[in-house]
Amino acid sequence: MPLAKTESYHLVSFILLFVVSFIATMFKLGPVLLASSVSALAWNYYFIPPHYTFHIAQTDDILIFGLFFIIALLNGILTTRIRRQEQLVREREARTNDLLQLTKLLARAGHSSEITDVAISQISQRFGITPQIYIQDGNNNLVLSETITPDISEIVQLTFRNQQCTGAGTSYQSHSNHKAFPLTGASINTGVLVVSHVLSESNFDQNPLWDAFLVQIANALERDFLSRIAQKASFLDESARLYRTLFNSISHEFRIPVATIMGASDTLLNETHNGEIRLELYNEINTASRRLNRLIGNLLNMSRLESGFLSVRRDWHDINDLINKVTNELEEELKYFNIIILVADDMPLVKIDFGLMEQVLYNLIINASQHTADNSEIELLVSHNIGEMIITINDNGSGFPPEGLEHVFDKFYRINDSKPGGLGLGLSIAKGFVEAHGGKIHLENRKEGGACFTIWIPTEDPYIEQLQTT
Amino acid sequence: MTDQPTILIIDDELQIRRLLEITLSANSFNVVASSTGKKGLVDAATHHPVLIILDLGLPDIDGQEMLKDLRRWYSRPIIILSVRDSEDEIIRALDNGANDYLTKPFRGGELLARIRAAIRLNENRNDLPIAEFGSITLDMVNHSVYKNGELLKLTSTEYSLLCLFVKNRGRVLTHQYILKEVWGYGYLQQTQYLRVFVAQLRKKIEENPSKPTLLTTESGIGYRFVD
Repeated sequence: MPLAKTESYHLVSFILLFVVSFIATMFKLGPVLLASSVSALAWNYYFIPPHYTFHIAQTDDILIFGLFFIIALLNGILTTRIRRQEQLVREREARTNDLLQLTKLLARAGHSSEITDVAISQISQRFGITPQIYIQDGNNNLVLSETITPDISEIVQLTFRNQQCTGAGTSYQSHSNHKAFPLTGASINTGVLVVSHVLSESNFDQNPLWDAFLVQIANALERDFLSRIAQKASFLDESARLYRTLFNSISHEFRIPVATIMGASDTLLNETHNGEIRLELYNEINTASRRLNRLIGNLLNMSRLESGFLSVRRDWHDINDLINKVTNELEEELKYFNIIILVADDMPLVKIDFGLMEQVLYNLIINASQHTADNSEIELLVSHNIGEMIITINDNGSGFPPEGLEHVFDKFYRINDSKPGGLGLGLSIAKGFVEAHGGKIHLENRKEGGACFTIWIPTEDPYIEQLQTT
Repeated sequence: MTDQPTILIIDDELQIRRLLEITLSANSFNVVASSTGKKGLVDAATHHPVLIILDLGLPDIDGQEMLKDLRRWYSRPIIILSVRDSEDEIIRALDNGANDYLTKPFRGGELLARIRAAIRLNENRNDLPIAEFGSITLDMVNHSVYKNGELLKLTSTEYSLLCLFVKNRGRVLTHQYILKEVWGYGYLQQTQYLRVFVAQLRKKIEENPSKPTLLTTESGIGYRFVD
C-alpha cells in the first residue's frame, strides 16, 4: 500500500472526505453515515500511525480523527438534506405541471365526452390507473354504459346518491374491490369516477394531486353542463318566440282574407247591387282566396324545409318554361307592374327541381311586387357561367333598409313598412330551396335604387348543344 | 232521367261536392255525387256517367286503387281532383289511367274547361286527318303543317311530336309517355331531348315562343296541347 507508507496521511483524510461528500450526493442518509464511519475507521486503521491498529499514538491525531469523523458526518447529512429538499421541489413542480396540463386540456375539451376522455388519459398517465367516468344526463340520472358490471353499477349509484367516496378502503362497501369518487362541482353533481379492481397496496388517492384532479374534472364537467343548460334555455326561448310569431302572424294574416271573403259574400247574399258592384265583390273574394292559398302554400313549404326531408329531384328543364309558369301564375299580382324578362340567347338546359325553383322565383317576384309601388319595374335576368346558372331579380323600389339586409332571409322577418299580405316566410323559403340545390342567394341594394337578388344554382352541362340539334 | 250528360263526383268533402254540383248543374250537366269509394263504384256502374271526378283522399279506398278499379271497365274520362299535389302522385294517377289532374284549390272555370276538353276528346276518337288550331293547320294525310297558310319545315321528330300532341289535345302527357311514344323505350330518361325538341317546335308553331299558348308546360309532369 504505497500511500500508507507516506507520512502525509493527512492528505488521505481529504480524499476520504471528498469520497464521502460524493456519496452523499447520490445516496440516502444511511449509506452516507455508513460511508463516513467506515472511511474514518479505515483512515485510522491504515494511515494513522501506528498502522494496522485502531490505536492512535499522537494526541493531535486523535483530535484530527475526531474532527474528520464529525466533518464527514455533517457533510453527509447536510448534502442529503439539500438533496431531499431539491427533490421535494422537483416533485411539487411536477405535480403543478401535471395539474396545469390537466387544466389546460380540460379547458380545451368542449363536450363532456371529450372532457372524460382527457380526464381518463391524464389520470392514467399520472397515476398509472385507468378509471371509468359516468356522468349524469342533466336530470340527475347517471348514464351507465351497457357493459357495466352489477357490482360497479351499484357502487357508482351509491356514490352518486351519497356524494361520498365509496368502495375499497372506505367506510361504505369496503368489501368491494372497486373504489368510486363523486365528481362534485360547485353546485352540480356531475357524475362519478370509478377505479375498478383497486390493489390493496395502491394508494393513488393519498396523493395530494388526486383530489386536485377530481376537482378539476368535476369543474370542467360542470362548466359543460351549465353551458348546455344555458343553450337549451335559449333554444326553448327561441322556439317559444317562433311559436308566438307564427300564431300572431297566422291569426293576423289569415283573418284579413277571411274577413274579405265573409264580408263580400255576405253583401252579395243580402243585398241587391248592380252588376258592376257584384263583379267587384266577386273579384275581392277571388283575390282574398288567392292570398289565403298563398299563405297556406308558404306554411306547407316551410314545414317541408323544416322537416329536413326535402328531396331535390333534378331534371333537365328549359328555364323559359319556368319563367313562363311563374309569370302566368302571377299574372293577376303583376297586373300593375312592368316586368322585364331577359334570358341569355345561348342559355343551355339546366338541371333543376322545377317545383322548388318555381317557388323560389314566385316568392322573389311576389316580394319585389310587395315592396315597390305600382307601375314599378321588375327585372328578371337569367344567364349562365361554367357549371352554374345565375338569376338576378332587380326592382326599382326603395330597396331594403341597411339594418334589414342580413335579416331578410330569417323566418318571420318582415320589414316594418311592408305591405300587408305575408308571413315573412317567402324569402327564407326561397333561400332554403336555393340552398337545397347547393346554390347561393344574395341580396343587395342597387346603387340606382331598389333591391337586387342574385341566385347562383350549380348545374351540369347538358350533352345536347342548346337547341341546335335537328 | 234528363238527356243531360251525367257526371259522377266521388269526394268525401260535402262542401266540395256541393260546389261542384252547383257549378256543373249550372253548366247543363246532370250530377251524381258519392261520398265514399264503394258507393262511387256502384254509382259509376249504375249511372253511366260521361265523366268521373275523383278525389284521391277517400275514407274507405285509396284513390289510386280506386282509379285502377274503375279503369278495369270504365273507359270514359276520369279527372282527379285532389289536395295531393306532389308530382309523384300526379304522375302515378296519370299512369293509372286518369285523363287529367287538378289540385285543390282549383278554379271553377279551369275545371269546366278540362271537363269539356276531356269529354270532347273522348267523343271525337275518330281523328280527322286535318286538324286546325289557331293559325296552325296539321294535315296528317300529307304529313304537312301550315302556319297562316304557309308550309312549315318540321323535322320528322318535331312532326311526330306535334302529331302526338294534337291527337291528345287538351290532355296532359307525361314526359315518360311522350318519350316512349316518340323516341321509344330506350329514351325514357332522356328529358333533354324532349326539352330541346319542344323548344324547337314552339319556335316554329307558337306566335311568341317564350309565351307559348298552344303547347304549355305542366311543371314537373309533362306538356299539354291546348285544343
